[in-house]
Amino acid sequence: MTDHHDLDRELRSHLENEADEQRDRGLSAEDARYAARRALGSATLIKEDVRALSPWAAIDDAAQDVRYGLRLLKKHPGFAIVAALTLALGVGATTTIFSVVHAVLLRPLPYADADRLAMVWENVNLPQYTNAQNAPAPGNFRDWREGNSTFIDMAAARDGAWSLTDSGDPIRVAGEMVSGSLFRLLQVEAALGRTFTPDEDRGSPSVVLLGHGLWADRFGSDPAIVGQTIHLNDEPYTVVGVMPRGFRFPDPDDELWMPLGLTPDQLANHGSHFLRVVGRLKPGVTIAQAQAELDTVAARLAKQYPQTNAGVVGVTVISLPEQIVGDVRRPLLVLLGVVGFLLLMVCANIGNLLLARASARGREFALRAALGASRTRLLRQLLAESLLLAIVGGALGLAIAWWGMAALRWLAPADLPRLDNIALNGWVAAFNAAIALAAGVICGVMPALHSQRRDLHGALKDENRASAAGVRLRARNLLVVVETALGVVVLVGAGLLLRSFVRLSQVPLGFKPDGVLTFRVVLPAARYRTEPQRTAFYRQFLDRLHALPGVQSAAAITSVPLAATGRITGVSMEGQPAMAPGDVRLVRLVDFRTVSPGYFSAMSIPLIAGRDVAWSDTNTTEPSIVVSETMARTFWPGQNAVGKRVKAGAPDNQTVPWLTVVGVVGDVRLVDLIRTPRPAMYVPASQDRATGDVLRDWIVRLSGDPTAIVPSVRSAVWSVDPTLPVTRVQTMNHAKSASTASQQFTLLLVGTFAALALILAAVGLYGVTAYNVSQRTRELGIRVALGARRATLLRLVLAHGAKLTLIGLAIGMAAALALTQVMSTLLFGVGVRDPMTFVGVAVLLLAVSLVASFVPARRATRVDPVIALRTEN
Amino acid sequence: MFTVEWLPMTTTRHRERTELLQGTLDMLILRTLILGPAHGHEIAKHIQRTSDEVLRLEHGSLYPALHRLERKGWLASKWDAHREHNRECKYYRLTAAGRKQLAAAESKWERLQQAIARVMAAAARA
Repeated sequence: MTDHHDLDRELRSHLENEADEQRDRGLSAEDARYAARRALGSATLIKEDVRALSPWAAIDDAAQDVRYGLRLLKKHPGFAIVAALTLALGVGATTTIFSVVHAVLLRPLPYADADRLAMVWENVNLPQYTNAQNAPAPGNFRDWREGNSTFIDMAAARDGAWSLTDSGDPIRVAGEMVSGSLFRLLQVEAALGRTFTPDEDRGSPSVVLLGHGLWADRFGSDPAIVGQTIHLNDEPYTVVGVMPRGFRFPDPDDELWMPLGLTPDQLANHGSHFLRVVGRLKPGVTIAQAQAELDTVAARLAKQYPQTNAGVVGVTVISLPEQIVGDVRRPLLVLLGVVGFLLLMVCANIGNLLLARASARGREFALRAALGASRTRLLRQLLAESLLLAIVGGALGLAIAWWGMAALRWLAPADLPRLDNIALNGWVAAFNAAIALAAGVICGVMPALHSQRRDLHGALKDENRASAAGVRLRARNLLVVVETALGVVVLVGAGLLLRSFVRLSQVPLGFKPDGVLTFRVVLPAARYRTEPQRTAFYRQFLDRLHALPGVQSAAAITSVPLAATGRITGVSMEGQPAMAPGDVRLVRLVDFRTVSPGYFSAMSIPLIAGRDVAWSDTNTTEPSIVVSETMARTFWPGQNAVGKRVKAGAPDNQTVPWLTVVGVVGDVRLVDLIRTPRPAMYVPASQDRATGDVLRDWIVRLSGDPTAIVPSVRSAVWSVDPTLPVTRVQTMNHAKSASTASQQFTLLLVGTFAALALILAAVGLYGVTAYNVSQRTRELGIRVALGARRATLLRLVLAHGAKLTLIGLAIGMAAALALTQVMSTLLFGVGVRDPMTFVGVAVLLLAVSLVASFVPARRATRVDPVIALRTEN
Repeated sequence: MFTVEWLPMTTTRHRERTELLQGTLDMLILRTLILGPAHGHEIAKHIQRTSDEVLRLEHGSLYPALHRLERKGWLASKWDAHREHNRECKYYRLTAAGRKQLAAAESKWERLQQAIARVMAAAARA
């Protein structure tokens, strides 16, 4: 730089001028030169000061700091690798979880003004059944829609599934029957063709809209599909359009839509609850206002239709985003919190490493300060080093996060909404960079501030090292205590989830899942119109299944246990008093399934009294049912249930027959693992006149591996009817596992983080104990020389580690007691202050910390007094 | 805090003190150059001599100040032959902006000085 030379020259001329003057006063040439130098001061500093005037100076300095930092990291690769990897792990884990939080909770839904969309449910409160999000009946939907002033419009959807037999093997496609206005309400247009016209919502025209995925997979993205005819459940439908990619509403697996076309009869029905209702709020209307208005409508309906609406005490209006992600928000935020704790532990660990290095670099910094490096310059130097670390750690962390996201997409439970949104996008990358830099600065500033406090003169002369070391040890002790406390919180969280999960796996299912394979085959109503047709298929198909090698038993039910679906119906007992209109006290709700004979024995559900259903129970014989133990006990306490009679609905309803109990079976977890069994009743498949239900889920019990038989099951189905799709093929054990998938997912992640936390805590304690031992070598040597026993030394060093662990444990336990409350909804059968978990964590942590401090502590016992006393410590 | 007590004062420059004196030093430099162009050594000597050796200017702080003033456009510099010796020195001279700045600084300085004098006189009478 010319400036630089210019200044050099200027200072040189100054020195010469000054030396001339001194010589004139009689000094020797050499003395004059020295005097001139003394008078000028440090030329280096002057140059620094002049250079600092330049606007480029800051960048120059930074470049120099970075170069120096890189050189240092290269010189201590061990430190650099450990620190960068630790940081990468913390940052990577945090970014991974953030990517899920961002995809699921933060990204807006793909609908215009999605926060003005709301789902509307019946709020049902009956003595034996409460559900704030009950599926609305069509009558209620119509009355809400016509009786409100807060919604622009409301639309309804009814879930369904159809067999598609065109172009390939028969498949079953999930879809919806929807109000014609749904797409206008959502403000979504068809990607190809059109959505439904208002006319198509009346009557039931055979038109259908295809999902983008179905159109691509099944029809090769053929744009000519619009206007063609396809066959669903053996009936012809005209394709009017294809929806845009990613459009799935209201279920994430929906692939086709057809008009709901509610009939006037249906629109007057307030008793069958099978819709989902979505509305768009008028501008400026809040959820609470909409809810208040519809609550008054619901109250009016309860008076107007007491028979059906007495239990519908109000409505629940819930915004669409909340509806979709409400259930997963808590677990995701808990995960984010846990991973945040892990990141803090990582910071503490790296801070510890940097502190250890600060002791080695104490002299370097003292020397640089003595040579005139300013305080800010030293701080900047340290910051540059930790920022370098942050950049390397952040980049590696991003790689880990990329891998973590792939793993999460694979591991996450299928019911985690918006899963396919998880991606490494700008937000996630920015988050990654931000936390890496923040972590780097936190880690870097701690030892930097620390190094400022030291007495530089003492450090130079090596006098005050013991006290500086003492300060450093205190700082490191503090970090270990903090780290232990954070680790305890994470471990307690993981422990509670683990205990819940164990409890959940120990729940008595009521059936034996081992060796059971299940799959779904649904008969299309168009071709199996009558009971004898259906029963003929059932019996023929079951015979085929029985004949397969290894099959011990085969049976069928409307929906297999733990599938999170099923029917509930209100029943009354023979002999109970007639209910006054609106009196809901005597309404008894029972789970309700249709089964084939042999279902109970195939599932190993014990028959406690009476008999199983039989093919001889037909629509012409006396209607029979089998009831669960809970139903028998609660309906007829102390009596024999067999021979008692119940009917669906009110006791004086003459249009439905009495059903006679012919058998009692054990309780089964019908819906999921968590809910305790409600009363349940089973209707024979061959007596379906009252229910209209068809058998859908088939089960076979095998002696060997259930999955081996899947191909022969398919051919058995197609040998009876080649148009029937076989879906949902899974073992019952898999179904059980799938019903706890979200708990497994949370446990897996929190468990992994807890394992990392334990390792970090152990490493931290190991480091501080090793440092402690190395600092005390001299003292320990003196003790040995004075005759201290090795065991005493060991105890001495271990006591130090144990003290830190106990303090950290105490703080961590207190914090955990305060924090685990947020997990209450994630737990099952375990309190948030479960003593077993807390004690278990304490024991585990103490054991690990003992090992972690024992290894370096052993070194203390091997201290050779002669060497120890000679080393200047 | 970063302290310097442990090092001999002669080898240290106290940054904070320089900062405090900066405005004054600038004024002294500008005032010196009103007499005509001078190089750094001359400026230092002049300030020292005219203040009856009271202000022992630290030579090291002079050059950053000169460069700063030049950067602000108050001074201009030029390499020129030394009047006596056979060497080149960097001569600084006042620019028009420098003169204006000097006038402003002087009037400010005067007001300050008078104010302080009044306070001191009042304090003496009390």
